[in-house]
Amino acid sequence: MAKLDNRERYARYKEDVEKRGKPFYPYAMFHDTVMSLVVVSVITALAAIWYFTSGEEPGDAGLLGPRYTEEADPGTTSFVPRPDWYFFFLFYLLRIFKWPESVILGTVGIPTILLILLFALPFIDRRRERRLVRRPVAVVAALLVIASMGILTWEGATAEEPSATAGSVLCEANDLDCEGNEELALGADVFAEAGCLSCHVYAGEGAQNIGAPELTTVGDLGRGEEYWVEWVRNPQAIRPGSPMPGFPNLTEEQLQAVAVFLEASTGGG
Amino acid sequence: MEALVLAPVNWLEERSGIVGAISYFLFRKVPRGTNWFHTLGSATLTAFIVQLVTGVVLAMYYVPDPDRAWDSINWITNELTLGWLVRGTHRWGASVFIILLFLHMGRVFLFGAYKYPRELNWLIGVAILLLAMLEGFTGYLLPWDQTAYWATVVGININATAPIAGPFIADFLRGGTEIGADTLSRFYAMHMLLVPGALIGLITLHLYLVIRLGVTPPPWGEDAEPDEPSPNGRPRGAREGLVDPKPRGNGGPAITTRSGVEE
Repeated sequence: MAKLDNRERYARYKEDVEKRGKPFYPYAMFHDTVMSLVVVSVITALAAIWYFTSGEEPGDAGLLGPRYTEEADPGTTSFVPRPDWYFFFLFYLLRIFKWPESVILGTVGIPTILLILLFALPFIDRRRERRLVRRPVAVVAALLVIASMGILTWEGATAEEPSATAGSVLCEANDLDCEGNEELALGADVFAEAGCLSCHVYAGEGAQNIGAPELTTVGDLGRGEEYWVEWVRNPQAIRPGSPMPGFPNLTEEQLQAVAVFLEASTGGG
Repeated sequence: MEALVLAPVNWLEERSGIVGAISYFLFRKVPRGTNWFHTLGSATLTAFIVQLVTGVVLAMYYVPDPDRAWDSINWITNELTLGWLVRGTHRWGASVFIILLFLHMGRVFLFGAYKYPRELNWLIGVAILLLAMLEGFTGYLLPWDQTAYWATVVGININATAPIAGPFIADFLRGGTEIGADTLSRFYAMHMLLVPGALIGLITLHLYLVIRLGVTPPPWGEDAEPDEPSPNGRPRGAREGLVDPKPRGNGGPAITTRSGVEE
């Protein structure tokens, strides 16, 4: 019955358009052409503003950001990743969930659910009604989606980048006696400066949920210093496919100090 | 003289039907209420065409090799005549394309244009949105600067957290265990062959369905096709004299069914 009703209404719509509609050309086509010209002009204007307010040097940003940053260097460790703006909402979603228990909700769970809802929309809302005043649920849902996407995008755009934290701060936060142990202090400094906190969390500092495990109590694993030296130098040699970048540029002394620092990190012990 | 112009047109029409198809497209009727909101779809198409044209030009100069990619981008931007314009247009056109996709989708949602019989076209539209975001993701790596590289590292790691398939997707995207030359050529191939090809196919299908099913009028005014019968019991459009308010002897099914429901 519902199907018949749909077909009947659609047939009436077709008849109505045929009788009272206006031809696409020239009426609708005029609107379309004007709008397309506006689109092309806006894009060109953005390109011009971007180019003429920025400089040739990498990272020399104008009103719309730099032309490019430095050439990619897998060896650097302090660069803070930032996706294009339309991924900011995902980017920020990751910060809301905590590694490792619930981060999968942010990376896979919520986006998948949203995607299924988006695909299923015409099968969830099967009413014929199109007037907004008679579709309160749809209107409220739309406003909520727009608001939450807007907030997440804004938060992602303005999110504080993990700032450089001094090694001594890490020691204090994790109850390590770095003042009385030179190697431990060096390890903490290397850990802080090499960019470990760009991915890892340590005693509440660092990037939440980029996907790397928290290291506050990593010493409890009891892996031993030699293991950490090798791991930090080249994680793929120990576990192929690990997403962690290696740090082959660190000296033996620095690697050893980081290993001592990691082994000592037993969370308040 | 007229024959001289018409002869090739007729020749073409007889063998392809293309002239009839174009004139059908141009002179088909759209609802009277069609307005500026309805231009968002064609505006999105325009942004996509801008991406295609500038993308082809960029492909002529860009080198998808980690040792030379950044230099070629630098050269296109700073040395090549009007190269900044082509790259800038491609770069900002991508954002405008995504914004227009969202606006168009919002319009379709608020107008209820995903309802019967246009459900399939909504599905195709969502697929287009996803592919457009994949274009954004794969294109972001190509300049091979720090921003590009590290954003891709994180992006691929996020993929890797998906259950079961995650690690395989991540390895596939990287073309190995590290982001390097294989990743770059993979992203390049996806960005300029696979995804645009799929997009062109889906957009063609999308437009075909728009023309076949017709434009949805705005959800206000008399074209809103209310769910409930109008309160005074008369069929919609009766006031305008469009629909005969009295059931006719040979009345169309629309009217007889309707009055049957109302009484």
